Amino acid sequence: MAEPVLVVKNLTKIYRSRRGDIVAVDNVSFRVYKNEVVGLLGPNGAGKTTIIKSICTILRPTAGEIWVDGADAIRNPRAALEKVAAVLEGNRNVYWRLTVKDNLEFFAGLQGQSLRSVRSYIDELIEMFNLKEKVHEQARALSRGMQQKLAVACALVKRTPILLLDEPTLGLDVETSYELRWILKRMAERGERTILLSSHDMNVVQDICERVIIINHGRIVVDDKIENLKRLFTASAYRFEIEGHFNQTQEQKLKEQFDLIKISRDSSRTVIEAELLDGQKVYEIIDVLKENGCRLESVGKQYPDLEEIFLRIVKGEKR
Amino acid sequence: MRHLYLLKAMMKKNFLIIWRYPFNLTAGIISIMMIFLVIFYGAQWLGGGSPNFGNTLEGIVMGFMLWMFIIFAFSDLTWDFINEAQQGTLEQLYMSPLGFGWVSVSYILSFLVINLTLTLGLFMLMMAVTGKWLHLDFFSLIPLMLLTVWGVYGFGFAMGGLALVFKQVQAVFQIFQFVWVALVIAASALETFPWAKFLPVTWGVHLIGRVLIGGQSLYSMPWTDIAFLAAVSGTYFGLGYLIFKRLEGIARDRGLLGHY
Ligand SMILES: Nc1ncnc2c1ncn2[C@@H]1O[C@H](COP(=O)(O)OP(=O)(O)OP(=O)(O)O)[C@@H](O)[C@H]1O
Ligand SMILES: [Mg+2]
Repeated sequence: MAEPVLVVKNLTKIYRSRRGDIVAVDNVSFRVYKNEVVGLLGPNGAGKTTIIKSICTILRPTAGEIWVDGADAIRNPRAALEKVAAVLEGNRNVYWRLTVKDNLEFFAGLQGQSLRSVRSYIDELIEMFNLKEKVHEQARALSRGMQQKLAVACALVKRTPILLLDEPTLGLDVETSYELRWILKRMAERGERTILLSSHDMNVVQDICERVIIINHGRIVVDDKIENLKRLFTASAYRFEIEGHFNQTQEQKLKEQFDLIKISRDSSRTVIEAELLDGQKVYEIIDVLKENGCRLESVGKQYPDLEEIFLRIVKGEKR
Repeated sequence: MRHLYLLKAMMKKNFLIIWRYPFNLTAGIISIMMIFLVIFYGAQWLGGGSPNFGNTLEGIVMGFMLWMFIIFAFSDLTWDFINEAQQGTLEQLYMSPLGFGWVSVSYILSFLVINLTLTLGLFMLMMAVTGKWLHLDFFSLIPLMLLTVWGVYGFGFAMGGLALVFKQVQAVFQIFQFVWVALVIAASALETFPWAKFLPVTWGVHLIGRVLIGGQSLYSMPWTDIAFLAAVSGTYFGLGYLIFKRLEGIARDRGLLGHY
């Protein structure tokens, strides 16, 4: 594979406070390769923002190394900031009292670029983000979606090879979310940028990332291609449909015998979804059903989406 | 060169924001003018009978003008950090590859232009209203004002650093307004307390007094007097900047740059 442009090695961040220490990130290591789009997934408080802020140097890690395109982000943050730009979560990231164009020009200047050298790129960005009609509008007068698009454009105008996006689609309507995804996807396809983005929205991650890193309680739980994850989970996920309902004790017994099982029912049927890593277990379940005199309607493989995979991994972690 | 591009962008941004939202500035100017008039006419009324009081009134006009200039310089960076943090843009400012130090200096420089224009404008207005015209030798006055305020920016940096870490700094702010008054007044007591010239701004105010009230020119002063001012201001600036760097590091450790 191509060379890694982002290397995070044994990253640890401990917030010290009077009420005790919080280990926000615990010995995390990963790499992102050139032109990859990688998703950072995890429940609230998992440590996503902490990782992203450490990479863009606004947070000093407790231990570990971070290299962005060859620059040491911890010992030489300024060199790293030549290589990486970020849109941070929850923040406005842009000046509400400046127009779209003034914002783009300001952030280009903040990166030390002359106006002359970026002017045509700014026009290109305005075009790409469909902000043409709003160029002379102040940012505060834009819709939430437009503001977010502007924030991403302001990060792009810095022309760094790496882009970090923390929850880029949070609070956007479906349409704008799609538009933003489409832009990011196209940019990655054209080989222009390497992107690391965090999100709660599995659809977003599934849509634009090739690989996901799932973190929970500050640790990496999974780091794999989405297709591999899907294959893995498809191989082990089964679904049984049964006529009629279980009684309490039967249900209890099943749950005790097999981990990772989910039982749901509608008016006339019961559905069992089970995670069976050992294929032999399929027969065991069928045996149990037979003993209880259940009529099996269908047995099949499950094809989970990323959301289900995520939930299962994160829940499995907790046990 | 890239540093200049940043400076230019920063100036443009700040001018645009002030230009579109002049209300705060106007309100500030009006209230400052009112305070000045109260102090001036109060002093005139109190000291009305005594001979030789004319000099003191001139001192009040000058002292007030310099105090205003100093307060602006002192508070610029702190207000900037607080505003930017509230707007959610401080972290973006922090991410400049040219360094947060240079970003802050650019901010200060862009406001220095505004502060100087404003202070001198109000100074003229004060003189016109009170009829106390001082020796307006701008070529001596402006360089001395800049050298004096250089040290104040050290305090501004330290204060800005405190704001990054502790957020609630209004109390310290208010105390300092009086400290600056005391330091400006101390310039008239240098004969009694010669060591006071090591204090921030005091020596500078003294030299400016020699220009505005004594009618001296910068170019006729002994160079050692000016070098001393530069040394004192430079030291305070350096110390303040070090404190700022230290506090900025703490803010980065604790992840405080983002919230307010
Ligand atoms: N400045 C801070 N001081 C102390 N603790 C913090 C600070 N910032 C984050 N934390 C803690 O560190 C942990 C990780 O937080 P972080 O914001 O990185 O999570 P996250 O994955 O981004 O969560 P979310 O999905 O809610 O954005 C949490 O327990 C959080 O409370
Ligand atoms: Mg977060």
